Amino acid sequence: MSIIELLRLALSRLRTSRLRAALTMLGVIIGVASVVALVGVGQGTTANITSRLNALGTNLLTISPTGKGASDGTLTLDDSEAIAKVDGVAAVAPEVSTSQTVTRGTTSTDTTVVGTTAAYASVRAFDVWQGTFLTTPAVDLGLRVAVLGATTADNLGITAQDLGAEIRVGGIPYQVIGILQPKGGSGFQDPDDQVVVPVGSVQKYFVGGDSVRTIGVSTTDGASQDTVTADITALLRNRHELAPSDDDDFNVFNQTQLLAAATSIAGTLALLLGGIASISLVVGGIGIMNIMLVSVRERTREIGIRKAVGARGRDILAQFLVEALTLSLLGGLIGIAVGLLVSAGIGRLAGWGFTLSPTTIGVAVLFSLIVGVVFGVWPARQAARLDPITALRYE
Amino acid sequence: MSAPIISLAHVSRIYEMGHVTVPALDDVSLDVHEGEFVAIVGPSGSGKSTMMNILGCLDRPTAGSYSLAGTAVESLGDDALARVRSRTIGFVFQSYNLLPRTTALDNVATPLLYQGIRGAERRRRATAALGRLGLADRLDHEPTELSGGQQQRVAVARAIVTEPALILADEPTGNLDSHAGAEVMALFRELNAAGRTIVLITHDAEVAAAAGRQIHLRDGRVAA
Ligand SMILES: Nc1ncnc2c1ncn2[C@@H]1O[C@H](COP(=O)(O)OP(=O)(O)OP(=O)(O)O)[C@@H](O)[C@H]1O
Ligand SMILES: [Mg+2]
Repeated sequence: MSIIELLRLALSRLRTSRLRAALTMLGVIIGVASVVALVGVGQGTTANITSRLNALGTNLLTISPTGKGASDGTLTLDDSEAIAKVDGVAAVAPEVSTSQTVTRGTTSTDTTVVGTTAAYASVRAFDVWQGTFLTTPAVDLGLRVAVLGATTADNLGITAQDLGAEIRVGGIPYQVIGILQPKGGSGFQDPDDQVVVPVGSVQKYFVGGDSVRTIGVSTTDGASQDTVTADITALLRNRHELAPSDDDDFNVFNQTQLLAAATSIAGTLALLLGGIASISLVVGGIGIMNIMLVSVRERTREIGIRKAVGARGRDILAQFLVEALTLSLLGGLIGIAVGLLVSAGIGRLAGWGFTLSPTTIGVAVLFSLIVGVVFGVWPARQAARLDPITALRYE
Repeated sequence: MSAPIISLAHVSRIYEMGHVTVPALDDVSLDVHEGEFVAIVGPSGSGKSTMMNILGCLDRPTAGSYSLAGTAVESLGDDALARVRSRTIGFVFQSYNLLPRTTALDNVATPLLYQGIRGAERRRRATAALGRLGLADRLDHEPTELSGGQQQRVAVARAIVTEPALILADEPTGNLDSHAGAEVMALFRELNAAGRTIVLITHDAEVAAAAGRQIHLRDGRVAA
């Protein structure tokens, strides 16, 4: 019997029991759809993280305290100034941040207040949209001047005309001197929701002490990040008077490491989601097996008749196998369509667009074929083995 | 006389029902020659259908041997048996055994499907076979949409569609009125005249009289 004859037989059979076929396929549809959707979401997340990290500036190093003293902070403004003299360092910006309520008149918003220096704009790759950024004299004098991120300015209703207006940061009055160009991006942390003020004023009014939370360093073009990292590490160990046996009390992150870490986390996540979705595919396969077994029972007489008029065991095997495969493949194709729609929808909501991955589709098709074969073979073999006279007598 | 196409030697078929054994066939020996037209008669429960199932290679004897066209059926594997059923035998069941939810045309075409014949040719031959049984206007009817006699004629059409050398018919006229029954018998005689061997079971003395030879079964034995 040719495959076309077998397909025709399978399709005409599925047509006579449409509801059952649809319900059987539903398991595979849900399984394949969730695999496709979740893998799509995983890939979208990875691509999104990568592009966001790139947007942060590719020659950025971030130094943060670690170890026992981490909460007290082992990094100081003096460390920051010393790092500025290292070869290959373009700019250095110490950062101290705190969460505060910022008010202007009756409008208020909760946001992150970053205390830093004039170099912050170049280190973190921010452009000024209106007014000016912090100047070195303003920072040195610890003036109460503030530059607003685009989102924060929006939240407070501050526009270009309002430069010079007074806002209150945690109750302390500041003068708005500039508004930053939005970087865009959405999700867990909006880079445009911040207030940038001189580092000294944050230490004085909000956090106390003279330590800093992080030090951002931008390297000059062409400088090796690894060399600069090593030089900074040596410098800081020396400044912190660490014995050779002591661990670093700080950590220098470079962009490449961050990217690798984030990508591997996203990859693991995608794998995990895919794994969970695969379980539903297996459940769908068992649904097919169940239906096929019931079907072999119900159609025992039919099998007997077919054998009586000349069907061989392998003809019956092929018939039932093709039926199972048709169910699972049809379910798989519908599942792929649903999964792609869902991941396109999520991609659009989350704003990372949608990439159609042929690998995912190939794997999904393969998976549903495997489900069909694995869960179809056994019932089909049961059917093929039946002895004609026993099958004909079956009630 | 030609060689026997069917040869049963001391064939028994015993059904085990727990501790009771039912000898449906008991030491039957029988030859049917090529081109013969044989009627098997006997009371209900005498083992006629049991014998027919063995002749049709659907069931195996519990003792004795059956040789079909010179081949010992016991020695054949499942695939070889399927081939014999497909190529050599046309079988009409007492209870029709049509495929449910399948049109008369597709029912009749099914044996051709397993001979590997293409769709258009299958339809042509199945249509012709149904036409010979006066069912040309019932091609697209499913079994539930046919009368008992029509179903029986579809079953006959399915048995003759492959033009088998041996036709085994278990009461092929049981549900037919005398006119339709006579037509089916005329068809069998025509096929017999063309050289096909026919074995049929009947309760009807008139039908039996039309055969060349009668075999009487009683309690699983061939009566003299
Ligand atoms: N599967 C079976 N299991 C047990 N006994 C059976 C089975 N099939 C048939 N028999 C018994 O074998 C005997 C012969 O049955 P068979 O069907 O051959 O009769 P028959 O001559 O065809 O009768 P009828 O004219 O009513 O069709 C009967 O007594 C029946 O009860
Ligand atoms: Mg009978």
